[in-house]
Amino acid sequence: MPISPLPLLQGTLDLIVLRTVALGPIHGYGVAALVRERSNGELAIEDAALYQALHRLDRQGLIDAEWRPSENNRRARYYELTPLGRKRLAEQAVHWRRYARALDALLKGM
Amino acid sequence: MSQRRPFWYLRRSRRLVASEIDEELSFHLERRIDELEASGLSRDAARLEALQQFGDVETTRRYCRRQAEQKEKRMRLGLMVGDLIQDLQISVRSLARAPVLALTIVATVGLGIGATAAMFAVVDAALFRPLPYAAPGELVRIYTDTPPYRFRFSQADYLALEAQQTTFTQIAGYTERAAAFTDGQVAERLRGRVVSWSYFDLLGLKPALGRAFTAADGQAASAPAVIVSHQFWQQRMSGRADAIGRSVRLDGIDYLVTGVLPASAGPLEFQQDFFIAARWDTPRRKGPFFIITLGRLADSARASAAAELRAINRRIFPLWRSSYQDERATWSLVDLKESLVSDFKSAGHLSLGAVALVWLIACVNASNLLVARITSRRRELAVRSALGASRSRLVRYLLAESAVLAFSAAAVGVVLARVGIGLVQRFGDVFVPRAAEIALAGRALWVLVIVTAISAAIFGLVPALHGTGGPVDEGLRSLGRSSTGNLRVRRLRQLLVSSQFAVATPLLIVGGLLVGSLNNLKRVDLGFDSSNLLTGYIALPRAEYREVGQQVAFWTELRQRVERLPGVTGVTFVDSRPPQDAGNQNNFNLEASPTPAGQSEPVTTWVAVTPEYFPLLKIKLLKGRLLQDSDDGEGVPPVIVVDQAWENRFFPGQGAVGKRLWSGGCSTCPLTTVVGVVSGVKYDGLDAAEMGTVYSSLPQRGADVDGSRARYIMLRTASDPAAVLPSLRRTLRDLDPSLPLSRVATIDDLVVQSLQVPQTLSLLIGALSVVALVLSVVGIYGVMAHYVQQIAKDISIRLALGGAPAGVLRLIVGKGLLLVGAGVAAGVVMAFAAARFMSSLFFGVSSADPLTFAGVVAVLMGAALVACWLPAARAISVEPASVLRND
Repeated sequence: MPISPLPLLQGTLDLIVLRTVALGPIHGYGVAALVRERSNGELAIEDAALYQALHRLDRQGLIDAEWRPSENNRRARYYELTPLGRKRLAEQAVHWRRYARALDALLKGM
Repeated sequence: MSQRRPFWYLRRSRRLVASEIDEELSFHLERRIDELEASGLSRDAARLEALQQFGDVETTRRYCRRQAEQKEKRMRLGLMVGDLIQDLQISVRSLARAPVLALTIVATVGLGIGATAAMFAVVDAALFRPLPYAAPGELVRIYTDTPPYRFRFSQADYLALEAQQTTFTQIAGYTERAAAFTDGQVAERLRGRVVSWSYFDLLGLKPALGRAFTAADGQAASAPAVIVSHQFWQQRMSGRADAIGRSVRLDGIDYLVTGVLPASAGPLEFQQDFFIAARWDTPRRKGPFFIITLGRLADSARASAAAELRAINRRIFPLWRSSYQDERATWSLVDLKESLVSDFKSAGHLSLGAVALVWLIACVNASNLLVARITSRRRELAVRSALGASRSRLVRYLLAESAVLAFSAAAVGVVLARVGIGLVQRFGDVFVPRAAEIALAGRALWVLVIVTAISAAIFGLVPALHGTGGPVDEGLRSLGRSSTGNLRVRRLRQLLVSSQFAVATPLLIVGGLLVGSLNNLKRVDLGFDSSNLLTGYIALPRAEYREVGQQVAFWTELRQRVERLPGVTGVTFVDSRPPQDAGNQNNFNLEASPTPAGQSEPVTTWVAVTPEYFPLLKIKLLKGRLLQDSDDGEGVPPVIVVDQAWENRFFPGQGAVGKRLWSGGCSTCPLTTVVGVVSGVKYDGLDAAEMGTVYSSLPQRGADVDGSRARYIMLRTASDPAAVLPSLRRTLRDLDPSLPLSRVATIDDLVVQSLQVPQTLSLLIGALSVVALVLSVVGIYGVMAHYVQQIAKDISIRLALGGAPAGVLRLIVGKGLLLVGAGVAAGVVMAFAAARFMSSLFFGVSSADPLTFAGVVAVLMGAALVACWLPAARAISVEPASVLRND
């Protein structure tokens, strides 16, 4: 029986999306595929949630979108980090690493 | 964010936003289906799987749309602000390339805005705003009315009115009173009022400390009471909290302080230091008339109150017949505010009108300059338009330029208005009633905003609408060298210039009439030698100089001591001061032609002097003799000296010497004889017609009347009077240290002072007229220069074909003068009406003075002629071939 994927921790979805978009101009499908691939199916993220996060981040000015032709010649919306988004990603990454370290240390000590 | 958005997708509609989201989501789903199908699922299974993996498509779509729409909204706002900032940046840059133009417009329009706002604040405080009293609409002033004179109430009148009236809710009276305030060593003369106990109650003024007067304060039984001003309390009682109940010494009498007024009271309390509770008892005779009477009554009761006033006056008339016979005199009432500010009305309206006109001219001038600027920029605008800028975008761009100018002008205006209001508050209380209430706030601020907005619209919208009309290619094709220019724009500029002159003309004419009046005033013959005459006022307190003997001794001793001072060549005492301080107006009945019963006796200025007065002032004796010391003795029949105007008025062609009269309406008193006629002197102001003056002896040994206790000392000095002043003060102090010398002035100072109001007004209007003239001439010069430049080719062709330069010159100048002439003609018509409306401000010139009108028209046309001639002469002096070659 396969292990069921992990439910997402509060607040991590935006960080995941920012980190993925940081890889360069990328469309929503690409983000979904990358997340699935990188997390080895360990994270249960619906595509719906991903798109909602993309548009939310767009509205917040953390990422910016532009229509471009895609690999199969249909146009797609490509996302990129804005300078503000880059800054937010760096902050959030540090934050989560500290959190994970602290939690890890705590768990080891028990 | 907004700055990253490429310019081509400026605006996305809601529909576009929605369809983009749909497209994005379907792109995802189709890719996923393809991928799953490739991994071996059937098409239908792949679709199901993809949808399941995706989750709730509908919710996501709605959520994403909402996010996108919010972003769009913010972006649009950002774009608008961005555009605005860009417009303003472009404007500032392009104006900086034309600094003279920009500075001219900002300075002139700023001046106009500032002056208009400041003057409105002044006029608003003085004329428009209700008085700062409780229910000010109910307040009236009550007069004794004998046309053409209006005068005050006597004690008898006031008490009768107070006792008998039923329609007023309250009656109050007051009179001026100057008093020496003594505080240990210092003696100061302070201004104040004696007020009926009901005064503060009537006005609704509550003291900040203590209480207002009550009926008991008006009774002789209670201690003398005073309410002091905030300023008095601060400066002379050092603002102590326990001031109430302390006593202050005024003219040697101790008054109990019952109240302190708030810092800002009303115009009636302005610059008054103290208010003494009056104790008016029933007098023995009807006069004198010294009480200013106020009333409060419901608006609806005005008519019945007027009737009641007449009835009471009629009722008490028989009681006083022995001392007052003028049966025509009646009582009437007028709005209190009206009575306070009516003197300022003409001058205030004129000043406000004048600054508003200058503002208007400045705006028109700015508009004119900007039209010229836009015409010369038609090419630039046409290029922008060809590149896709919409007409509204161009208008907005031009408006932004106007807005930059308008806001700069407004900034200049606010500064000027503040400075102006400050100056008026400090120095203006001579000219302006209620100066203390002036502020750049409330309505005045609104006027500033509105005036600024109108300025921006006048000099923005008009040129903008004219700069962008017409097909694009026309502007491009002509490339700025069209030989005729845009006819519409030229017509507009011509109209603007004409209207400038139409507005400037009445301003200059009124200014000219005012300057003429001032000159006439300055030329008025005072009737005596005014050089090196020093005067000051001395009042002996009743408490310390009760006996007539004490008073006489004091005056005699003072005169003897002052006469001995070095530099003093003569001393006299008098109760009046030329040119504008008549001690008394007195009525009398001529023995030769008695006034019929029931009619007003004649009234003239009545000056009481000591005999040295005439030689000291070098007043010429024309007939008979002067007053002598021996005229003022007990049992000596009273005598007077009259002036030429008096003789001409009452005894034309017969001579007044030897004629007799009853003075003061007292038919039982001994007859007074005219013993001499002297040359005239001005006592009622330089602008007053001479109605005759009577000189009587200042009582030396007579009864205890006002003239025996208070009078001016007047001395002639060998050189600068200021040098003698310290020794005069010292002499007075040696004699009685508690007596202040007040109202110190030389007669020349007083002459200058009496000219202050007309001088300031004519200076103000004159300066505004000059500004208007300069702006108008600049306007016509600009228009003509532009016109000549546009028809340069035509001129050259004419000249090349042998046309006479003089003819061309005449043609151009004639065209300019036609424009100016039309404006001036309209202006002259307006000036006729305006000058008539304010004829009370002129002296010695008619409001339709042909010389002034002709002079102003000549100056305007002359200046315009030069302004038209200069560009025309330049045009015909150019070699025709060079113009044609350049084309």
